[in-house]
Amino acid sequence: MSVVLGIETSCDETAAAVVDDRWRVHSSVVESSIDQHHHFGGVVPELAGRAHVTTIVPVVRAALESAGLDVGHPAIDAVAVTAGPGLIGSLLVGLAAAKAYALSWDVPLLTVNHLEGHLFAPLLETPDLAWPVLTLLVSGGHTMLVYQRGPGVHEVIGETIDDAAGEAYDKVARWLGLGYPGGPPIDRLAGAGDASSLVLPVSMTGEDLDFSFSGLKSAVVRAGEKRPDLAHADIAAAFQRAAVEQLTRKLRRALERYDVAGVAIAGGVAANSALRAAVIDLATEFGVVAHVPSLAMCTDNAAMIAAAGLSHLTRGSLGRLDASADPNWSLADVS
Amino acid sequence: MSRVTVGPAATELAGEEFARLLRPGDVVLLSGPLGAGKTTFVRGLARGLGVSERATSPTFTLVRQHRCHNDRGIATLHHADVYRVTSLDEVLDLALGELVEEAAVAVVEWGELAAPVFGADVVTVSIAVTSDEGRTIDVDGAGARDRAEAMARWAS
Repeated sequence: MSVVLGIETSCDETAAAVVDDRWRVHSSVVESSIDQHHHFGGVVPELAGRAHVTTIVPVVRAALESAGLDVGHPAIDAVAVTAGPGLIGSLLVGLAAAKAYALSWDVPLLTVNHLEGHLFAPLLETPDLAWPVLTLLVSGGHTMLVYQRGPGVHEVIGETIDDAAGEAYDKVARWLGLGYPGGPPIDRLAGAGDASSLVLPVSMTGEDLDFSFSGLKSAVVRAGEKRPDLAHADIAAAFQRAAVEQLTRKLRRALERYDVAGVAIAGGVAANSALRAAVIDLATEFGVVAHVPSLAMCTDNAAMIAAAGLSHLTRGSLGRLDASADPNWSLADVS
Repeated sequence: MSRVTVGPAATELAGEEFARLLRPGDVVLLSGPLGAGKTTFVRGLARGLGVSERATSPTFTLVRQHRCHNDRGIATLHHADVYRVTSLDEVLDLALGELVEEAAVAVVEWGELAAPVFGADVVTVSIAVTSDEGRTIDVDGAGARDRAEAMARWAS
């Protein structure tokens, strides 16, 4: 049995986890620096980088300890780490730590694409899941549709042409004076609002599988400026309905074209209640399995990085100790 | 010097034509309220410099590099969005000043805060919202004044 330590520091979260090749999670520790960012209305890159420096070692130690491993000489087969995409200062902290651990324990380093990590999240909750799977990956930095034939075999079939869905949530939330991240407060507020009080355009109604959220963000701001009487809850409800409508419309189109056994959502926006409900409905309609991950598995964590690393290890695709971080590493470039 | 556009396609075209005025080493500070069309303008600008991929929002990675294909000596476009940066200290920590390169053009969204690290010789582009679809794109800055004639043609 192979066991891998995963490390993730691409954005807010400092995370470490221990996972084995039967996709069992032995431990998963996540420390977020979000409280520090809260009043800035977003991730402050330099703050994130500094927070990782102080938390990385205790977080790795906690992950090893709670997996029942010797902290000094853990019985692991490799160290997997996120090498991109993400904030360069944050990525470098995790990568430097992972290299040091790999070198001192004399095990291979596995460099993992953060987005590929998200694709492994459903596997950690359903180890015997049936392939192929269509995954809607939605977060603050990314929005894409991925067709997965099996673990580590994937094809990006659609993506955003401008802003990510989560970025639109964050920007609309900041404009409404809500906190960061913007998804949870808008989701809560939307529950108390009337979506029909404001008609917003649903972008990207064409036949392709791409997304666009920049126009929706602008439409919300313009409408709000024009009608200052509108309740924030109504704006949130209308925005959420238009955003989820676009996501599910594209997912439906993809399900019509690709013959799959399951449909999955991944990334921070996968925690959104309206999106989760819509995806479950869509899966029922198409007679496929819905993989709607637990909230902890939606957001950034290291278990998914360890899992992706395990598939690299199985294929013999090892990272190099002189590997560098790539803040713009595209999932399409991951073979 | 300003140019009026109606609709995102016109803003994108303004960006594409604006790219023709750029020279290697230029720094463009782009400002405007949320939803004004800053990223749309940059998408056109990128196309005008011969970038083949789409220039999407770099908010979460802060800076994206694009390889350019043109015959004007501009090999790289640095596209930065410092929306979430709140102090000049952070701008310094991020080494944004290093984006100024001989064979590159740097475009910085929400760049007002970062202005001090780029010196006086920058081109500023501000997009104002005049109606639902209407935008006024204003170009200024010391970096723009030495090519006033070309700018005037772009504006007209």
